[in-house]
Amino acid sequence: MSRQELLSPEGLRVDGRRANELRRISCRASVLNSADGSAYYEQGNTKVLVAVYGPREPRNRSLTQHDQAAINVEFNVAPFSTSERRKRSKGDKRLLEISSFVKQTFEGAIQTAIYPRSQIDIYIHLLQHDGGTLEACINAATLALVDAGISMVDYVCACTAGFVDDTPVLDLNFVEESSIETPDLTVAILPRNGNIALLQMESKLHSSKLEDVMELAIEGCKHIHRKLDQAVLATANDLAEKLSH
Amino acid sequence: MASLVLSPAEQDFIIRGIEKGFRGDGRGNLDRREVTLRTGMISQASGSARCRIGNLGVGTDVLVGVKAEVNAWTPGEPEALGSVVCNVECSPSAAQEFEGRGAEEINVELTQLLDRVIGGGSQGADGLDLSALCIIPKQAYWVLHVDALVLDVRGSIADALVMAARAALLDTRLPRVVVETITDDSGATQAEFDVVDDAEDLVALQGVSGLPVAVTFNQVGKRYVVDASEQEEAVTQAKLTVAVSPALEICAIQKGGMFKGFQPSLLSEILQTAQRIAKEELTRFAALYEEAAKHKEQQSDGPSTGSTFLVAF
Repeated sequence: MSRQELLSPEGLRVDGRRANELRRISCRASVLNSADGSAYYEQGNTKVLVAVYGPREPRNRSLTQHDQAAINVEFNVAPFSTSERRKRSKGDKRLLEISSFVKQTFEGAIQTAIYPRSQIDIYIHLLQHDGGTLEACINAATLALVDAGISMVDYVCACTAGFVDDTPVLDLNFVEESSIETPDLTVAILPRNGNIALLQMESKLHSSKLEDVMELAIEGCKHIHRKLDQAVLATANDLAEKLSH
Repeated sequence: MASLVLSPAEQDFIIRGIEKGFRGDGRGNLDRREVTLRTGMISQASGSARCRIGNLGVGTDVLVGVKAEVNAWTPGEPEALGSVVCNVECSPSAAQEFEGRGAEEINVELTQLLDRVIGGGSQGADGLDLSALCIIPKQAYWVLHVDALVLDVRGSIADALVMAARAALLDTRLPRVVVETITDDSGATQAEFDVVDDAEDLVALQGVSGLPVAVTFNQVGKRYVVDASEQEEAVTQAKLTVAVSPALEICAIQKGGMFKGFQPSLLSEILQTAQRIAKEELTRFAALYEEAAKHKEQQSDGPSTGSTFLVAF
């Protein structure tokens, strides 16, 4: 694979963005009528659809916990999502790992003690893959959970960041992620107190650079938080308008 | 399918109502529900469509993406034909029992059904011009992967699948292929092809308008209904899916499920009705697809083509 220039001398990336620019984000809650909560989230060309069901009776009696809700996450990648069509089996390790990350992230954010002996299901569908899968899943799931009315401590906002040619770059797309030299850091925070809910990094990054990259990612998270908040407000206004007639 | 528990009183109510020609939502036995269709929402796929069958915004919801790939020919395959491969996946958001491996059985059943109707099973597709998908005989051909994702099931899943697949194939645009024949020194000709890498230079598929539509008949009590809701499916005795092409030829018939059988005398009546209903459905589909194309035009100004999910569907 030819080595593309990920950051041009003028400071532009492969898709024309600057190093600290996020991709365009559009999102909407309440997109599936039969789910308790749902959300559609687009970040650049990465498109994720999430359906949330719950709290409801657990399917497996063995998963019931007497003092809190059990969270179940299933991550489904559509075969047409990548540029080369590929069907993943349900037991694919990468998929299971992402489901597990999402579950752990939300276990800290959802107030599970309010819903004992029940199950909250989060079904994530990746419709188009262009980098930033985990971040898109977490952001979309947050929106869907808020739409479902499930009690949470705070929003969970995630963002990726990397390091190209001595510059921290924000929000990597597929081309940048797949380049072997670019480290890929995913951070999810709870915006109000700034606590980190998820931190994951692949590839090497010098420890002196870590702080800069993390700071950039956290800035990105805060921006995403505003976007998600706007989407929630839009849905609430929409509902209020419909109820007032 | 998704299990629905109905009390004996509800079951009786539905059966007796259908015998008199009244259904739960006020339709007649042969009336179908509203269909909403949108295309082009997955920009990375060669074609895509989303179809919902149901009134008031709640219903069976299917998303189909078509991806085209070039395959190298291997001996044993048809020499001058492309191929269509279907795949259906039911999401757990449709029913809780589809979690994990729970949907395997129904995925296989629906995949085979879609393959039979759209791909023509092992005989080659009805309608779709497979020879137009061949790039160089005995060397390379296009294979179309039709992947369906079922987001919600409220009865009539086969009809929704076929309709969405049809729309997605109509929406599919393949890159143009340039074929060159080179004669080398010994006089032998060799053909080479090159896929044009221009996002604007695309060709549509040929023969898609010849694809069939599926109509599902459910026998409830002594009568049968078309486009059953999930409550009606729960009291169905026998289910028959008939695929009819625009030329009003019967392309595929499948009796589904583990229900009881039905009277053979009903069969000829059902087939006749299927042809009549299919004609109406095809006209409706054409109108819906045109509306979907108009929506796609309106949304194509921005870089995002997630139109059906960002706007009320």
